Amino acid sequence: MKTFLYDGCFEGFLTALSLALDSGDACAISKENAEEAGLFSEFINAGTDQQRAATARDLIERRGSAESWQHIRFAFLSEVPGAETAIFEYVKLLLEKGPAADNMLADDRVKKVHGLSAKVGGEAHRFKGFVRFKELADKTLYSKIEPDHNILALLVPHFRARLGTFNWVIHDARRNNAALYFNGKLVYAPLAAALILEDAKEAEVRKLWKHFFKTAAIAERVNPKLQRQNVPLKYRKNLTEFDK
Amino acid sequence: MDLEKKLEILADSAKYDASCASSGSDRGGAGGTGAAHLSGVCHSWTADGRCISLLKILMTNECVYDCAYCVNRRTNDTPKAILTPDEIAGLTFEFYKRNYIEGLFLSSGITVSPDRTMELMLEAVRKLRQVFRFNGYVHMKVIPGADQALIDQAGLWADRVSVNIELPTDKSLRLLAPGKTKETVLGPMSRLAQKISASKDERRSIKSSPAFAPAGQSTQLIIGATPETDREIIKLSEALYGKMCLKRVYYSAFVPVTKDSRLPALLSPPLLREHRLYQADWLLRFYGFKADELLDEKHPTLDLSFDPKTVWALNNLHLFPLEVNKASYEEILRAPGIGVTSAKRILRARRTAPLSLDDLKKLGVVMKRAVYFVTAGGKYGGLKKETGEAIKIKLLEHKNPNGQLDLFGEKELVKEGLAGTVTGQL
Repeated sequence: MKTFLYDGCFEGFLTALSLALDSGDACAISKENAEEAGLFSEFINAGTDQQRAATARDLIERRGSAESWQHIRFAFLSEVPGAETAIFEYVKLLLEKGPAADNMLADDRVKKVHGLSAKVGGEAHRFKGFVRFKELADKTLYSKIEPDHNILALLVPHFRARLGTFNWVIHDARRNNAALYFNGKLVYAPLAAALILEDAKEAEVRKLWKHFFKTAAIAERVNPKLQRQNVPLKYRKNLTEFDK
Repeated sequence: MDLEKKLEILADSAKYDASCASSGSDRGGAGGTGAAHLSGVCHSWTADGRCISLLKILMTNECVYDCAYCVNRRTNDTPKAILTPDEIAGLTFEFYKRNYIEGLFLSSGITVSPDRTMELMLEAVRKLRQVFRFNGYVHMKVIPGADQALIDQAGLWADRVSVNIELPTDKSLRLLAPGKTKETVLGPMSRLAQKISASKDERRSIKSSPAFAPAGQSTQLIIGATPETDREIIKLSEALYGKMCLKRVYYSAFVPVTKDSRLPALLSPPLLREHRLYQADWLLRFYGFKADELLDEKHPTLDLSFDPKTVWALNNLHLFPLEVNKASYEEILRAPGIGVTSAKRILRARRTAPLSLDDLKKLGVVMKRAVYFVTAGGKYGGLKKETGEAIKIKLLEHKNPNGQLDLFGEKELVKEGLAGTVTGQL
C-alpha cells in the first residue's frame, strides 16, 4: 500500500489527495511524522503543489457540491487521526456517485466524513460562546483557547463582525497559532507564549462576572451532570467563570 | 451600595425568569460593536445546568405589587437595589466585549409606576444602542400597565420583548397576584403581536423600515404554584403560539421563594413535570401535534413515566408500525425515537437506496424506542404481539436495565428527567 505524506497544511493535503486519486491503488494519506503511518507502507512525499491543489478542489466541487467541499474542509480541520484517509475514501465515492453521495447518510464513508465535519462545526459554534477576552493595558483584547479541533479560522469571521472596532488576539495555545486583528487588518502568526499585561480595570470586571455567574444558579435546581454535559471539564480552564 | 452588591441582588432576583434565548435576530452592521447571531449563542452554563447567554438582571427589585409567588413582592423583607441606566449600559458593554455574553436581558420590579419604570428601562437600552453603539442582542420585559407609546418604543430598541403571564388562569392571577388581571397581561401582549406582524409586513416591501422586535415575543408560565392541569397549560400555549404568534412559551417549575399560606408547600420544584411540558411544547411547535391529541378531558395530565409522544403512539397503535421507506415526513415525525433531525435524514437517505433497520441506527434513530413503531423494508424488530402494555413494560426495562422493575421507577425517571431537562435553550 502507498501512503502519501503531506506537511500538515490544507494545500499539501489536497496535493496528496490528488496524487492518491491518480495512483488508482489502495492508498492512505497521512501527515509527516504522524503516528498512524503504517510500517509496511511505501511512503511518498507529496509536497505542496498549488496547481494540483486547485485542480483537486475544482474536481470535488464539480463532481460533488458546495456542501461536499465544506464537509471536506471541516473534516480536515478535525485533525483526528485517520481523517485524511477517510476523506480520500469519501472523495472516491463522490467521483463515482456525484452529488447523490451526500444523500447516502447510512454509508460508512459518508457517515465518517459528515460526522467529523459536524464535530468541527459543533466545536466552532461552542467556542463562539466560550472565547473569553481579557483587556490588556494597551486595550487589546486577548483570548487563549485550546480547542480539540483546528477551529481558529472558523471563529475569526464571527468576532470580526462584532468586535471590528477593537484590536484583538485569539490565541490557540494548543497549536501555537494566533489570529491577530489590529486596526481592521487580520493576520495569522505562530505564537507560543504570550506575555500578558492586564488593564487595571480587568480584575474588577472579572470579579463582577464571576459573581454574576455564581448568583445566576438556582440552588433548588442544582444539576452538575447537566452542567458537565454543556460545559465539559476540558474546556473550563480557559473560562473565566470557572477560575478558582 | 457598590456595583458588586447591586449586581448580586438584581441578578439573584432575575434568575427565576427561564428565558435565556439570544436567537431570532441577525442585527449587526458597519460601525459600532456587536452583532446578533440568528441561532443564538450560549456562553456558559450555571451550576443548575441552565445556559447563560444574556446578562439577565432587574433594573430594580423594588416593587409596588405584592404577588405571592414572587421573590420581589413588596412585603418581602429583602435588600432592595436599583441600577442607573448608565450602570446597566456600561456593565453590558464591559461584559459583551469580553465575550461573556450575547447581550442584555432587562426586566424590573415596578418602581413608582409602570410608566416611570418603563421610561428608566428604555433610557438604559437607548444609551446602550446610541451612546455605546451596541448592536448585540437585547431582550426587554414590557411592564404591564405601561403606556402604549412606551411599549412601542421597547419594540424599536429591543430584539425580543416579553410579558410574563406567570399564572395560567385569571382565577389564579386574582388569588396570587392581586395587582394584575388577565387583561393587564394580555393587553400589551396583543399590542406587541400586532406591531411585530405589521413591521414584518412593512419590511417585506420596504427593507429600510425600522424592525420591531425582530426576534419576536415570548412569555413564561409558572408550573406547580396553582392547580391548573397540564391540559390547561398546553391549550394555553397552543393559543399563544397561534393567536399571539409567540416565539416561545417558557415553563418555570415553581420554586417556593416566599412563605405564603396561598402557596403549596413543595419539597422540591416539579422539574420532571416542567420537562414533560417542554416536550409537549416541542411537539406542538415542531412535530405538528395539536394539544387535543396529547391530552383530553379524561386525561388532563402528562405521564411522568413516558414522554408525551410515546404516550400518544401507545394510544394510537393502529397507526403503527410505519414503513420508513414509504411514510411521509409528517408520519415519520410521529414515531417515538425519531426526532426532527433523524426524520430529515431518513427522507434524504432513502432517495438513494431503501433503508434497513441497521441503517436507521446509523442515521441517529433511537432504536430502543423506535423499534416497536417502525418497519424497514417490511422487517419489524419489535415484539411479536405488540400490545400497548407489552411495549410499555419493554420500554420501562430499558430505563431500568439492571435492577428489578420497581413499579413506579421513580428514582430512575427523575434522573432521566433531570439529565435531559430542556431548560429553555434554542
